[in-house]
Amino acid sequence: MESSKPLLPGTLDLLLLKALSLEPMHGYGIAQRLRQISGDVFQIEEGTLYPALQKLLAKGWVVGEWKQTENNRRARFYKLITAGRKQLRAECVEFEKVFGAIVRVIEA
Amino acid sequence: MEFVHRLRSWLRRDANARDLEEEMRLHLELKVQEHIARGTSQKEARRQARLDFGNANLAAERSRERWGYVQLEDIGRDIAYGLRQFVRNPGFTAIVVITLALGIGANTAIFTVMNAVLLRPLPYTNPKELVTWRGNESLPDVEDIRAQSREVFSAGGAVNPEPMDYTGGQEPLAVHAGYVDAGLFQVLGVPPMLGRTLSQDEDRKGGPSAVVVTYPFWRDHLGSDLNILGKTITLSGQGYTVIGVMPKGFGVPEFNLDLFVSLWVAYPEAAAYRGVHFMRSYWRLKPGVTLEQARATMTTIDARLSQDYPAEEKGRNAVPVPLQEFVTGNVRPALRILFGAVCVVLLIACANFAGLLTARGVSRRREMVVRAALGGKRFRLVRQALTESVILALSGGAAGIVLAVLATRLIVAAKPAALTHATGISVDSDVLLFAVLVSILTGVVFGLAPAWSASAAGVADALRHETRTATTGSAGISFRKILVAGQLALAMILLTGAGLLIKSFVRLNSVSPGFDPEHVTSIPIQLPEARYAEISKQTLFRRELLSRLDSLSGVEAAMVGDVPLNGNEVTHGVAIEGRDAAAGDEPEVDTFCVMGDYFGVMRIPIVAGRNLTEMDNENHPLVAVINQAMASQLFAGQNPIGRRIRWSHDAGPPRWMTIVGVAGNVRQFSLSEPPYPAVFSPFSQSDEAWRRWMSVVVRTPNDAANLIPEIKRQIWALDDRLPADQVLSMDALLGLSLRDRRFNTTLLALFAGLALILASVGVYSVMSYAVSQRAQEIGIRMAVGANRRDVLRLIMGQSARLAAIGLGAGIVGVFAFTRVMSSLLFEVAPTDPATIAGTVILMAGVVLAACYAPARRAMRVDPIVALRYE
Repeated sequence: MESSKPLLPGTLDLLLLKALSLEPMHGYGIAQRLRQISGDVFQIEEGTLYPALQKLLAKGWVVGEWKQTENNRRARFYKLITAGRKQLRAECVEFEKVFGAIVRVIEA
Repeated sequence: MEFVHRLRSWLRRDANARDLEEEMRLHLELKVQEHIARGTSQKEARRQARLDFGNANLAAERSRERWGYVQLEDIGRDIAYGLRQFVRNPGFTAIVVITLALGIGANTAIFTVMNAVLLRPLPYTNPKELVTWRGNESLPDVEDIRAQSREVFSAGGAVNPEPMDYTGGQEPLAVHAGYVDAGLFQVLGVPPMLGRTLSQDEDRKGGPSAVVVTYPFWRDHLGSDLNILGKTITLSGQGYTVIGVMPKGFGVPEFNLDLFVSLWVAYPEAAAYRGVHFMRSYWRLKPGVTLEQARATMTTIDARLSQDYPAEEKGRNAVPVPLQEFVTGNVRPALRILFGAVCVVLLIACANFAGLLTARGVSRRREMVVRAALGGKRFRLVRQALTESVILALSGGAAGIVLAVLATRLIVAAKPAALTHATGISVDSDVLLFAVLVSILTGVVFGLAPAWSASAAGVADALRHETRTATTGSAGISFRKILVAGQLALAMILLTGAGLLIKSFVRLNSVSPGFDPEHVTSIPIQLPEARYAEISKQTLFRRELLSRLDSLSGVEAAMVGDVPLNGNEVTHGVAIEGRDAAAGDEPEVDTFCVMGDYFGVMRIPIVAGRNLTEMDNENHPLVAVINQAMASQLFAGQNPIGRRIRWSHDAGPPRWMTIVGVAGNVRQFSLSEPPYPAVFSPFSQSDEAWRRWMSVVVRTPNDAANLIPEIKRQIWALDDRLPADQVLSMDALLGLSLRDRRFNTTLLALFAGLALILASVGVYSVMSYAVSQRAQEIGIRMAVGANRRDVLRLIMGQSARLAAIGLGAGIVGVFAFTRVMSSLLFEVAPTDPATIAGTVILMAGVVLAACYAPARRAMRVDPIVALRYE
């Protein structure tokens, strides 16, 4: 959708699912986490996380819960559920397959 | 899962929006704090946070799309927008809706008939198990087959329609009785509404006189009496106890009957007689038994029967076919062709629809381009256009359904004979579903191409063009020309088909029936067995009635067993003296008994020998007159006069009849069937006491209407319990025999006319559009010296090319398709050159006429105006 992002197309779902697989997080937290883990490689317009999160909700991979943050702010925490974990595994396998192929082609 | 989510999120869409807003606000605030923590100024931190976050509105919008119901809201907006467009262009909307209403209306009306007649299952229990075969059976045959076919048929029964008289009302009434065996009710499997049907015990010689009546008879003549069971009604002079009333809508497959009595009780002589095959029989396949198995069994039974009873059963060939197929066999080809025709009309209407949409798409190009430039995705633009075309199609469909309801009433009122047994021809839920599906399909299929092309242009390219004058749309115009050529081809096929039917009809109308129907009226009379069992009593009645009628001034009267074109006949095998034929191999001929000067009254010429006279009676030698068909087929090259013939089934001493004359041929069944060999013999010399029915034929100086009451009085003076209510002029009978053809011809001609009108509207609109598109070009041409004639030639040449392509394709279509209507044609080839040529000329004329107005407009183009506009 946002093809101008320096992100491999279709990987945003995977990154979100992976981030949420560690613990339930709110939107800002996810953005922070992605930046930290990737070492600031991913330049994501943080607003685009929200449509993606809505999609995960709609697909039934995550559920949203309103809770207090550590700073006593009300925030929606997204939590991975079983269907989401399954999806994550499937996407990982798929990604590794594609990525492996690309690597092989490049190194050939 | 997704759907549930979608629905739930739609139900709490406001809460969702608040949630989203709140979490995005939180995100931004945290972001600002993050930047402040890094030492940025408050103001710079805000700016930075917004930059990191990106377009918040877009993100919110996209998120809403994820919830799914946005699409619903969008469609709502599309519909509202479309409706506003239609209100703003009432002319366009009206033309489209009328065009589609005509197409869909005609289509739905014919589908209604087809659905009721061909598609809806027959109203019996498990109707798919019911079979019958061509050819009638006698009751002994039915009983034998039933006994020998138990492994394939679970039930079987038969019916013979016979007139009876009912004398419980004001005037004696001819009712249509079914002489049945008890198996008939069993095989159809419809339980009675009141009481019971005939049982096996009652269905025997000397059984109780019991009658089962239909719902209409019970309602109209028995006063809907709920306590009718056990009461007695008088039929043909005999009391019958009412034992049952069938439910509303019940009928036997091929006949309209009022009541049912046991053949064994009402007519025991016929019941026992194997030789007269006069009953229609119906059979029920056992579950799991295939048609092929039933056919194999019947082949075995046929062989056995023809071996055991060669005189009566030779040449049996009972091939079971599904009952539904059998009863709709006659209407099937005509209905299919009519349905094909209305589909073609619909296609032509749809082509106009697509053409109009394309034209509008071109004029709305600027709007589309602007929307595309503002970020409207192509999918959305196409969807908007499709929404509009589907709304238009549905409006057209709604108007079409109204038309169809009216048209169906007209069709049922015109009631072709083949539809008389079909009940419930009306617009029902199936038909409505059909019409709605057709409308939606029309809107989508024929809206898609225009929608796609309207949204096709690249934005930058289109904007550059649009800032100048509207010279784009050449793709639209060629698409429309293809549509119009297709329309012309389709209209050409339909018109040719209609032309062929009309020509057949004219040919058929010019066939001489062999008699002069003008001022001749027939009154069928059935003498009840109770009072006229003996021939002598019948002869006395006939003779007395004729002498009374002859005494009326200006009236010529005679009697015949079955008048021409009433669809009845009795055939016998005939043996010719001096010629040997094996039992069962004798030629079959139609046999008619007459009294009085039948040939004179009907103006049937005696071409050889003499007419029958009063002297040819019971006291004189047996004589007969044969028709020309019999003379040429059975006495080829010989003089039949003086030869002797007899019925081959006669037992006892031979009753030789001497042929004394040859009469002209009469079309006994229909004008389209050739005359069959026939024998006419005097009623008074007949030994067939069962021939108790006849028609009085009277020729009157002019209209018989004022003489009918007098004739009835004379009949009732002799027997006041005889019904005489089926009076019909021979002209009317002739008309009835042509009714189906007239019906088919009228409808097809109507559809062809509709097709022609729609196609010419198509031609007109595409040429008008072409002229307006080329106005500047024409202006330039005129400015550089072209005169008006050149312009006319330019436009007419374009039209002529279009017409040539369309009509050429049409001729190919004619050769490919008119073959299917061979069965409806009479002495006209499906590719009759005169008809095709006439159609081409007619269509070329119509196309040129449709182009005339646009061409004139082109001639009037003022070069100065056209160039200044550029």
